[in-house]
Amino acid sequence: MSATATGAWVIATEEKRLAAMVRAARALGGTVTVVAVGPRALADAASAAGPDGVLWLEPAGAEPVEAHAAHVAAAAADAAPRTLLATVEPGARALLGAAAVRLGAAVVPGVLSLRTEGEGVVVECSAAGGAAIATLACPGPLAALFAGDDDVTAAAAPSAPVRVLDDGTAPADLRVVGRAASGRSAGVRDAERVVSVGRGLKAKADLALVESLASTLGAEVACSMPVAEDLGWVAKERYVGRSGQHISPRLYVALGISGTPQHMEGVREAKVVVAVNNDPAAAIFRTADYGIVGDLYDVVPALVAALSS
Amino acid sequence: MRAVVAYTWARDVADAAVRQDGTVEWRKDKMSPGEDDHAALAAGLALTTDGGTLVGLTCGNGDASWALARGVEQAVHVTDATPHDDDAATAAVLAAGVRSIGAVDVVLVGDSEEHPGVPVALAAHLGWPAVVGVTTAAARDGRVEVVRTVGDLEETLSLAPPVVVAVAARSAETRVPGMKELLAARKRPVTRTTLAELGVDVPDTLVARGTRLPATAPTRVFDGEPGEATRQLVAALRNEGVL
Ligand SMILES: Cc1cc2nc3c(=O)[nH]c(=O)nc-3n(C[C@H](O)[C@H](O)[C@H](O)COP(=O)(O)OP(=O)(O)OC[C@H]3O[C@@H](n4cnc5c(N)ncnc54)[C@H](O)[C@@H]3O)c2cc1C
Repeated sequence: MSATATGAWVIATEEKRLAAMVRAARALGGTVTVVAVGPRALADAASAAGPDGVLWLEPAGAEPVEAHAAHVAAAAADAAPRTLLATVEPGARALLGAAAVRLGAAVVPGVLSLRTEGEGVVVECSAAGGAAIATLACPGPLAALFAGDDDVTAAAAPSAPVRVLDDGTAPADLRVVGRAASGRSAGVRDAERVVSVGRGLKAKADLALVESLASTLGAEVACSMPVAEDLGWVAKERYVGRSGQHISPRLYVALGISGTPQHMEGVREAKVVVAVNNDPAAAIFRTADYGIVGDLYDVVPALVAALSS
Repeated sequence: MRAVVAYTWARDVADAAVRQDGTVEWRKDKMSPGEDDHAALAAGLALTTDGGTLVGLTCGNGDASWALARGVEQAVHVTDATPHDDDAATAAVLAAGVRSIGAVDVVLVGDSEEHPGVPVALAAHLGWPAVVGVTTAAARDGRVEVVRTVGDLEETLSLAPPVVVAVAARSAETRVPGMKELLAARKRPVTRTTLAELGVDVPDTLVARGTRLPATAPTRVFDGEPGEATRQLVAALRNEGVL
């Protein structure tokens, strides 16, 4: 590796996973710079996350973050970091892609951990849709789309200096022309407990059963996509998954839900997932924390009774 | 508007079997249409309904007729491209394919869960901006208008061409072509080309060291009659502190 290609850049457009990425970058040795593209509060959070320095760029009102990709790429070409990290979030991803290609870096998605090995970096990343973990050695520059756990306990280190990133590169002609509420902000989003129902439910009237469990638990009712979109039994803003709500309750109880990757993506950040399904081979029994194999029409009343005793 | 839709440029993870020892076996070693490809195609058709052209672009050993059976008139197929762990390498092949098509205003690509680096690296290889996570696109006054959901907000963006737009499907494809469309697709022109002809060299810079099973705790299943199973579950949940 050339003497100039050292250190790591963490490209951040939001605070999520920022501390975890700084920590992962730290463990590689070398200097760590956060490139924060967003409001001043983001730059301040970046500074407290423990890097050596922060480069900050604030897009003007109607500019999406993506308008500054060429700008960030040019700065990356100057600094020549060996490793880039960003989350998969749309804005951060666009910035990472631009910088990566400029540096001739390999772009690896689903990165869970990184370590230095000799002159190179070795990463573990998710493979086969998350069913396996692959180890890849990267002898050259690397751009990692980081999917490791967030680091919520990270201590606020002494604040790193924040420098404004401004080289006069004109932003790309991309404009935000409208913002409207998406209808995603139902009670389900922030609920501590959620009881969710899938196509295992036989009739709309049987929702009463689901609601009895929800009220015993003090939970919100959610569902899989077909229950909202195809059957129309539950409001659309209550379905969970890739195209619906992404939620992080402490408890998620899935009743008659098969557990496809598109559904489970919405509850990846739930603390405890419980599945009730009458098919012992259902995919959800490979990802849930707890399961009961049985007919939900028998299990739910028993669960209400057990909770009440 | 001149648009290109990239499709069938990776393998389908559903074809990957993970063995007990953590090794991955591709039961079908073929490029397949991605879960989001139909959404990218729909966006491409929407952008070119009022005049304009939509050209398909595919690479590897998949079936080039997929898009041709769904309203695309012609396609370019980079036949000898192979799957890569490095999304920038896949993107380099697609970028060369786009360049071979000539003047293009917008490239549409499925915003794949498995290969989220491809659209952004593709844009970078072309020197264009990228906007990803989009659900719909439309042409307006020579610009591309796209909609995407960001947190609780639905955001509309107006983009000056040229631009790469990655489209995420919200559900499975609803309208699958019939026999007539499949037969018509066979007659539509496909320009077959190779990496050498396009002048792309994509060395695999990553060294694969194998795969293993994730260290996730197995699901604790309570069986037996519902009364007993639910009592055990409630006890476990109390222990977890989530009740
Ligand atoms: C691009 C794309 C995006 C998508 N986005 C989403 C999304 O955001 N959210 C989402 O949910 N889906 C989404 N899907 C759909 C997803 O792939 C599944 O089709 C869907 O989640 C299945 O819903 P389900 O589990 O309710 O139904 P099914 O898969 O039909 O499962 C029903 C389950 O109920 C069990 N069951 C039946 N009877 C009983 C009983 N009496 N007691 C107990 N169990 C019983 C069955 O064993 C089965 O496992 C998406 C798909 C695509 C292609």
